[in-house]
Amino acid sequence: MSDTLFPIAIFFASIFTGNILLTNYLGMCSFLAVSKELETSAGLGIAVTFVLTVTTPLNWLVYKFLLVPFGLEYLRFIVFIIVIAAFVQLIEMAIERYSEGLYYALGIFLPLITVNCAILGASLFMVIREYNFVSSIFFGLGSGLGWFIAIVAMAGIRQKLRTAKVPPGLEGAGITLVIAGFMAMAFMGFSGMIAVS
Amino acid sequence: MKAKETFFSKRIYPLLFMLIVTVVCILATSGLYLATQDRAMANELSFTRRAILDAAGISYQPTQSGIETAYLQNIEEQQGYFTALVANDTRYIILLEGPGLWGKISIMAGFEQDLKTFSGLAIVSQNETPGLGARIEEPWFTEQFKGKVPPFVLVEEGTADAADEIDAITGATRTSEYFRNLANSAATEASRIIGRQ
Amino acid sequence: MAKNQLKKTFLAPLGKDNPVFVQILGICSTLAVTNKLQNTMVMTLGVMFTTALSSWTISLLRNHIPSRIRMMVETMVIATFVIVVDIVLKAFFPDMWKQLGPYVGLIITNCIVMGRVEAFALQNKPSLSLIDGLASGLGYTYVLMAIAFVRELLGTGSLWGYQILGSWWTNWAIMIMPPGGFFMLAIFIWIVKEVITKEAKHV
Repeated sequence: MSDTLFPIAIFFASIFTGNILLTNYLGMCSFLAVSKELETSAGLGIAVTFVLTVTTPLNWLVYKFLLVPFGLEYLRFIVFIIVIAAFVQLIEMAIERYSEGLYYALGIFLPLITVNCAILGASLFMVIREYNFVSSIFFGLGSGLGWFIAIVAMAGIRQKLRTAKVPPGLEGAGITLVIAGFMAMAFMGFSGMIAVS
Repeated sequence: MKAKETFFSKRIYPLLFMLIVTVVCILATSGLYLATQDRAMANELSFTRRAILDAAGISYQPTQSGIETAYLQNIEEQQGYFTALVANDTRYIILLEGPGLWGKISIMAGFEQDLKTFSGLAIVSQNETPGLGARIEEPWFTEQFKGKVPPFVLVEEGTADAADEIDAITGATRTSEYFRNLANSAATEASRIIGRQ
Repeated sequence: MAKNQLKKTFLAPLGKDNPVFVQILGICSTLAVTNKLQNTMVMTLGVMFTTALSSWTISLLRNHIPSRIRMMVETMVIATFVIVVDIVLKAFFPDMWKQLGPYVGLIITNCIVMGRVEAFALQNKPSLSLIDGLASGLGYTYVLMAIAFVRELLGTGSLWGYQILGSWWTNWAIMIMPPGGFFMLAIFIWIVKEVITKEAKHV
């Protein structure tokens, strides 16, 4: 069974067949709010990918070596969110000090990330699906890239929609959700292609 | 009027406040956790026993005490598997694990004396998508294995009629396939485990 | 006047300030389970419980929380209530707990909870905040229940797990799959917005 849970398979599955945004609806709030502009979407996408890639394995370590040995698994919600919040804070401080350019490019998105469900979601899924350390890195990276692809594609479509005539009731959130639905359908087409076995 | 910022109000008070909040929160959750721990463990045990009874094809009252009575009356625990005596025939129940789309699927597989015909099948744990792959837990799905001999062929939901056909779950093709593979491997696995004893 | 304010606080989130279709908040954690009425009910009750009690608690503490650690305290309180939901489900509704899996934990990052705490509880007294939290949760509940109703009925021909439609019914598989959730929410928002704009024109 280890070959199915093989990290590479998880990586691709979490980008395409099990896209965290399009199949689990995680990270919807910032997705709907930010996907108006291509550039900001890309910025947020990169920030989410980065934070997901680091916090998922980080939480894996915390869970395995701090919570499980003491039988404190039930505190994982609090602990995970603190780890995420602390990490985001740390990164914010670090890039503010060392790279002004990067701070202006990414810094503004970082506060949004703590409350992004996708980040906490990935950590919770990783625990419940019993991934190992390597798999959790690939799962975090894959989920982040999947989120990135989804929001950038959405921003591209929405930019083209700007001149389109949309029924007044569907403007804004409505049409975005319809497009997301079609994207989810399109992504379902990948399910036959990636043979995880 | 704003109070003057002292060292205490600026540095110590926030820390102290956070500390108190944290301690109160953790104490409250820990208290609740400990208070319900026995119950949660009893639930776990009951789950496993119910799965074993289902796999053996033994009926029981669907309450915790009903499950306990039926289990203690009928099931004998052997090394690595379980047996049950039903109408002078011994049934064998084994725990089987295999990959799903998202993580491990564990099932209890019960066999008639010939170690080929399923007497029943029950899910112990799974992490598939709620409402889609997770429907493998629904009774109509697991019950269709009863009295059948692997290997199985998957057909469209609601159309299975031949002896080796199993209804797949609409929208959960991959999960259905993984589950079929797991069920198909059950007979060989059972003769390996039980034959070895 | 106090009674009026109470009434207003309670009614606003059900109609014109509805968190889901007006503010489009907090659909992350629950939309995924809206393909079954039962799961939706439990999840939305969890959200309602968490929103109401977090608002109440933060409102009680609102004059004592140092502003620089405000978010941390809020998160801590919310996470605590979510853990309570998780533990209670695990102990008393184990079947439900198993089905919902990680989604219960995701209530922490549900924007509605944090949103109500930040926007309302920090400025209002505890009793009012409690009402506001309850009403927001209720506004959230009925929208998602409506979505779940359609998705379960069209997708599986059943409601609350009981078969409703006969064998003549062909299940719309797309409804129980992820795209169905997006489409249903979009349709719901569309209808509500059309109705609201029409009413605004008439008045």
